[in-house]
Amino acid sequence: MTDVWFLIFGLAVGTFAARLGGILIGQRLPQGGGWARALNALPGTLIIALVAGQLMQGGPDEWIAGALAAATAFATRSLVLTMIVGIAAVYLLRLI
Amino acid sequence: MTTAGSEFGSGLREIMPLAAGVVIYGLAFGVLAAQATMGGLETGAMGTFVFAGAAQIVSVERLVAGAGAFAALVAGVALNLRLILVTASIRHFFIGRPWWQIMLVAHFSTDENWAMTMAARKAGRDVGYWHLVGGGTGLFFAWVGSTIIGVLFASAIPEPRALGIDFAFTAAFILIARTLWQGRRDLAPWGTSVAVVGIALWSDWLDPSWALILGGVSGAVIAGVFGDD
Repeated sequence: MTDVWFLIFGLAVGTFAARLGGILIGQRLPQGGGWARALNALPGTLIIALVAGQLMQGGPDEWIAGALAAATAFATRSLVLTMIVGIAAVYLLRLI
Repeated sequence: MTTAGSEFGSGLREIMPLAAGVVIYGLAFGVLAAQATMGGLETGAMGTFVFAGAAQIVSVERLVAGAGAFAALVAGVALNLRLILVTASIRHFFIGRPWWQIMLVAHFSTDENWAMTMAARKAGRDVGYWHLVGGGTGLFFAWVGSTIIGVLFASAIPEPRALGIDFAFTAAFILIARTLWQGRRDLAPWGTSVAVVGIALWSDWLDPSWALILGGVSGAVIAGVFGDD
């Protein structure tokens, strides 16, 4: 099995299990409290960890482009504009 | 009382603005999938059977970054764990329904149609199961269709790195982080997450994919233990 099909199969099973799990054991899940807070926080902490790791592995070109993309994200909240600014910035910086 | 059909139709109509946003992410995911040398079939199968945008983007990005498939899978599943909370909060819609209807709406439950149906109920409308399924159906076709179109077009781009496209997903993750930021209470969890990744990578203790998983989980633990509701 290739990596891609392994990933498709694994993600499909894991994701469906999470969705069905909420329905089947939802009654026994705490609606507030620490567990709910941790689960709610997890997407944000994973994404920011990913960004941090990617920028650490890059150099000054990526740091500057990352800062410009972050400024665009805050100003516009637009995915398209943020990606365009990020791509254009890193392209130009790598040319220099 | 609304009939199932009209409830489905209104869910489908009302999700359209959100589905348009999903199409943008879908096209972007297609570009990423092409870098992972995925074709239309693999991309369509992933969208159909996984149907979770952020987790697909993160795990395929990890594959492209050279992580092992297992680390990529763990990162993606971790990102989806909170779907437990989404479906748990709407489980009363499913009571007494046949198993296939439960399976269907479980698969179609996402943040977008959940928020749509919850907002409609808050406004006093008597909608539930079929409203959610209608919204989910719109999102499903928007996501699967746009990711396949994206991968077919992107496969024609010859040298993505030379064009700076490899950086597109760092930019996309920065935007996703912006949309997930909920204010000051995220400061300590996110700070912890970044610090753990920084130490793990700087000390060469973990490879980048496991470092991000450890960082993300550490931040979530801080939110669970020290946060307040």
